[in-house]
Amino acid sequence: MSEHTVGGRVWMYSNYHCNMACTYCLTDSAPSSPRRALSSQAMVTVARQAAELGFSSLGVTGGEPFLRADMAETLVALAAVLPTLVLSNATLFGPERVERLRPLADADVAVQISLDRAEAAPNDELRAPGNHARVIDAIPRLVGMGIRVRIGTTLDPDADVDDDERSRLCTLHRDLGVSDDDHVVRPVVRRGRAAAADMGVRATVADLPPELTITADGAFWSPFGPTIRDGRLDTDLLVTRTTDPLHIPAGALARLVDGQPPGDDAQLGIR
Amino acid sequence: MTDPPTTVTPIGHLAEAGATGRHRRPLVALVDADQAPLLARPYFAGGDPGPIIAALAQVPEMLEATAPFLGRVLGPSCLPARIKEIVILRTSARASCRYCVEAHTVVARDVGLSVAEVRALRGELDAPSAFADPAERAVIDWCDALVGTGPVGEDVKASLRGAFADHEVVELTLLGATTLLLNRFCTALDLPTSPEVAARLVAEGLS
Repeated sequence: MSEHTVGGRVWMYSNYHCNMACTYCLTDSAPSSPRRALSSQAMVTVARQAAELGFSSLGVTGGEPFLRADMAETLVALAAVLPTLVLSNATLFGPERVERLRPLADADVAVQISLDRAEAAPNDELRAPGNHARVIDAIPRLVGMGIRVRIGTTLDPDADVDDDERSRLCTLHRDLGVSDDDHVVRPVVRRGRAAAADMGVRATVADLPPELTITADGAFWSPFGPTIRDGRLDTDLLVTRTTDPLHIPAGALARLVDGQPPGDDAQLGIR
Repeated sequence: MTDPPTTVTPIGHLAEAGATGRHRRPLVALVDADQAPLLARPYFAGGDPGPIIAALAQVPEMLEATAPFLGRVLGPSCLPARIKEIVILRTSARASCRYCVEAHTVVARDVGLSVAEVRALRGELDAPSAFADPAERAVIDWCDALVGTGPVGEDVKASLRGAFADHEVVELTLLGATTLLLNRFCTALDLPTSPEVAARLVAEGLS
C-alpha cells in the first residue's frame, strides 16, 4: 500500500477455535467455538494479492492456528510470498507433533508464543492449567530446530506486575533463547471475553493501528477488530465483507485512514 | 392516455386491517449504532438512519455505494418533489410494498398531496378523479407500466412524451425503477415501519 499510515502487515484469522479458553480472549475462543476458518488456498490468495498491493508482511492468528493439520504447509506457502508471523499458544508442540513444524526453519516464518507472566501460577490463572510449563518446554525445542521464536506478553493493566517480575520474565525469555527484540508486551484490550470479564483497556479506532485483517466474516480495521462476545461477532471495526479481491478492503481501509484526523497515532501501544 | 388499471392492490391488503408494519420482525438484524461498521458510521451520526440503511450496514461496502445513489435518485432534483412522490408511492403500491407505501404516504402528505390523492395512488380511490392534471395522470400510467412486464404500451409512452422532456422521462423512469428495487428489498427483508411513520398514519387515518 502506498498509504504510509496503513500498516504493512496483512493479518489473517486462520480459524477461531482453540484448545484453550483464556480469560481475556478477544475472540471468545474455546474448543467448541465455531471454526470460521479461512482455507489454505484462500490464505495464499490473500498473500499473493497483498504482495501485489505492496504490503510487506503477513500475520496469522486465531483461535489456535496449529489446531489445523495443514498449518505448517500453509505457513511455508505464505512465507514464499511474504515474511510471515504466526501467533500460537505453543501447547501443541510436544516432541512428536513439533516435527511437523521443521519446514518452518527454512521458511521466513516467526512463531510468536504467548507467555504472560514469569511464574506459572499467575500465568496459568488467566490462560490454562499447565500452560506455563508447556510453553517453557516448547520454546527451546523450536529454537533448537532453527525456528525463529518471538514471545508475546499480554498484561492485565489491573494486575500487580512490578518491575521485578518484568525483569524475571525477560530473564526467562533470554534463557529460553529469545532476544529482547523478539519480546513484545501489550495490554489486555477490553473486547470479546475480556469485556465480559471487565478486564483491559478500552480501545477505540484511534487507539488501534490500522492493519488490514482478513477473516471468514470480512475485513477489519485491525486484528483487534473481529472480536466475539457471547457468540456474536462485533462489527464496529468491520471494513468490508468483501475480501477477494483484496484491493476492495485495502482501498476502503486506506480511505478510512485518510479520513482520520491529524495526530491520530496509536495512543495505547497496542500491537 | 389509457384509463388507469383497476387492479391496484390497496394498502389495506398489504397489512393486517388497521395495523401498520411497525411491529414486524425483519429477516436480518438491523445494525445499531454501537455495532455500525466504520464505513457506515457517518449514516448513524445523526441518529437512527432507518431500517434500509441499518440493513445495508451489514455490508458496508454496499452501503457506501448504494446510499449516495438512493439519495441522489430519491432526493431533490430537477423534478418537482410532488411528481417524485407520485412516482414513488404509486410504484410502491403497485408493487405491494407495505414498508414503502407506509413510509411514502407520510412523505407524500408532507410535500402537499391531499388525502384523496394519496388514497388514489394507493389504489383505494379512482386515480382519474383525483388527478385532473394530464401530466400527473401520464406519470401514474407510466408507473403502472413500469411495474408490469413486457413492453410499455405506445399510448402510455405517447402520453408521457407529450408532457415531459427527454431528461425528465429518463429521471422519471430511473426513479420508478429504483423504487422497484427498494420495493423488493424492503418487502423481502420485511423491514419494519418506524414508530413515527406508524403514528402519522394513524393520526391521518391512513393506516
